[in-house]
Amino acid sequence: MIWIYLLVIFALGAGAYVGGRELARRRAVGARPHSRPGQHGAYALIWVAVPALVVVILSGVFSGPLERQLIAVDTPDSVTALEPFRRQAFFADAQRVGHGQPALQIWERPLAEQLPIEARRMVSIERTLQWGSGLAALLAAILGGLFVSTQIRPKTRARNRVEGWIWGALFVCSVVAILTTVGIIASLAFDSFRFFEKVPVFDFLFGTKWSPQIAIRADQVGSSGAFGAVPLFAGTFLIMIIAMCVAAPIGLMSAIYLSEYAGRNTRSVIKPVLEILAGVPTVVYGFFAALTVGPALRVFFNEIGLFLMGGPLDGLGQYLALVQNQMALTAGAVMGIMLIPFVSSLSDDILNAVPQSLRDGSFAMGATKSETVKRVLLPAALPGIAGALLLAVSRAIGETMIVTMAAGLAANLTLNPLDTVTTVTVQIVTLLTGDQEFNSAKTLSAFGLGLTLFLVTLLLNIIAQRIVQTYREQYD
Amino acid sequence: MKFRIFRSAEDQTGAGPAEAAETPRILPQIKMGKADVSEGRLEDAEPVTGPAVVDSPPVGPIKIAARDVGVFYGDKQALFDVSLDIPDKTVTALIGPSGCGKSTFLRTMNRMNDTIAGCRVTGRIAMDDEDINDRSIDPVLLRARVGMVFQRPNPFPKSIYENVAYGPKIHGLVSAKSEMDGVVESALKRAGLWDEVADRLQSSAMGLSGGQQQRLVIARAIAVNPEVILMDEPCSALDPIATARIEELIDELRERFCIVIVTHSMAQAARVSQRTAFFHMGRLVETGDTEDIFQNPRERRTLDYITGRFG
Repeated sequence: MIWIYLLVIFALGAGAYVGGRELARRRAVGARPHSRPGQHGAYALIWVAVPALVVVILSGVFSGPLERQLIAVDTPDSVTALEPFRRQAFFADAQRVGHGQPALQIWERPLAEQLPIEARRMVSIERTLQWGSGLAALLAAILGGLFVSTQIRPKTRARNRVEGWIWGALFVCSVVAILTTVGIIASLAFDSFRFFEKVPVFDFLFGTKWSPQIAIRADQVGSSGAFGAVPLFAGTFLIMIIAMCVAAPIGLMSAIYLSEYAGRNTRSVIKPVLEILAGVPTVVYGFFAALTVGPALRVFFNEIGLFLMGGPLDGLGQYLALVQNQMALTAGAVMGIMLIPFVSSLSDDILNAVPQSLRDGSFAMGATKSETVKRVLLPAALPGIAGALLLAVSRAIGETMIVTMAAGLAANLTLNPLDTVTTVTVQIVTLLTGDQEFNSAKTLSAFGLGLTLFLVTLLLNIIAQRIVQTYREQYD
Repeated sequence: MKFRIFRSAEDQTGAGPAEAAETPRILPQIKMGKADVSEGRLEDAEPVTGPAVVDSPPVGPIKIAARDVGVFYGDKQALFDVSLDIPDKTVTALIGPSGCGKSTFLRTMNRMNDTIAGCRVTGRIAMDDEDINDRSIDPVLLRARVGMVFQRPNPFPKSIYENVAYGPKIHGLVSAKSEMDGVVESALKRAGLWDEVADRLQSSAMGLSGGQQQRLVIARAIAVNPEVILMDEPCSALDPIATARIEELIDELRERFCIVIVTHSMAQAARVSQRTAFFHMGRLVETGDTEDIFQNPRERRTLDYITGRFG
């Protein structure tokens, strides 16, 4: 139904455009009009289509609640007497019956007779509302059209008014993303608040034990639940640091190569390839980590362990021989590889922004390329590069898929890259996937983690933006 | 006949609004030779050229000899068969309209064109009888001997001290910190900047004014003790007062270095240089003592250019 309405509004708008243009042309005879006929047409289109659209959207939003209210007015006693959720089920079935589908449940005697009656009543209410909103939209369009037809005069500044509407439409679009973000933060904050009612903030932020299982039955053992987030953040930062150890030097050096050393032909091949790599889905890196890198590293360390066992380093050998696939090193290394194109692409842009005159100045002093890079370009670009690295860090912290597939689930508080660690994002995924009840501390802890993670990455991004900004101001 | 043409040309130049104030000042100065300039500054710079009153300006032995130099950017030839001798301890001005190849020629002398992709230099450029385009010459070392100052001041975003110390550091010219302090101080003094920055050597060079930055860049260039200093329109981004200071400085530096300067200002060429070379459409049209070029140009195009009929 809504599509028919939109189609009608579209047709009315098109008509208004043509009509407004003709009207403007006719009324402009003999005068010097301010705006061109087409602009009057656009102005008429806006005044016909926008009120109608507003009515349709409002009726779409409010017709549901209104319908429920209207139905509740004369509900038979036998239905009112039902428990709330049974009543809902009854009305749901009534709607299905009304639309010619079979009921989902079998209803007892008094209700079974009420069902078709209620179904008919519901359908009629629905229809009334639909036709009502359609008529209201038509009325709005007509009123808008009448108003605008009085406005089309040679003196009317339709050109400027249309511009004002365009400004408004663009502004609304730009605000949508911001408002959505605010909404996300609000919902995160709300659920986190519920979590922090059950678990004190201090225990959450500084507790060193993470074990979110809660006893379902009173006699269960060892699942009292512990919500100390320190091991998760330690794991997250361990993996992030390993990733940055891989991504920062390699990414930076490839950026230096691309911007300073590579010839035009090499650059035209390598740069697009790196940018394509930046678009590889992280789940693919996840496969790579879980199925290739993890086993390879495990075999490597196990072999070393077997070699060392029985020798003077027997203890170390024992440990290495038991290393598993899911170690921090696997996830960190693959995440680092994922970040290389990101770091190199950003750093390349920053190095290119350093004025050519500085390079010329340095070369003219008899400096070689690497001296120029080391002593002039990198110091000049350092703030920007630091900003780029911070952006990479916040991506590494928020990265989910690779760690879900390649890091473990055991919340160990360790700095050993060969141990299994888990991260904040992995825990959020495991806490919220599958069937969960939404009022236990276990599930709600995901929101606490999410909020904390959000704040950490937000902070990092703000710092990074600031740094990049001050850097830009230096040369522009 | 020539004299008459020149007179009328001078009148024309004098009538131009921009040159009106400058032209009468230059010509007497040239006529009287460099002597009175030196005399005016006897306290801070002793004249090295012997007897004060000389008709033609002092010219040292040939430092750079260019023979049939051509420069190609890809397929496009920017410079054709330029043969020019550049004397030592002298300021040589390269003048000509925009795009005439004078900057390109300047950049061949320290092989800065090597840094431009697709650029090719033909012919022979000899510095002290040594071909600088020879395989055995390392452009990096060559540039330490041939310093360069650019159109826009380009100090590195470091401290004033670091800027001047940059060259000596990368070439390992000094070993101790105290020695470096001395090098920095004397370079800044020779560039006439020491008094203004002595108390803030560690602050950023980006905080200096345009004219100070340009003198800092000159200090940076002379800190490595080059033999030649190339200047590519060093005053085009500066105001008249800063320009005057740089010109004074160039005149002082002439006593120690071979200086080649590209300039768009006829008045500047007349004020600071002893030799002038006029370029047009990628060719060297005329070269000679500055006084001759400005008073008795042999070529019609030179006359037209210096009198402002084109360019």
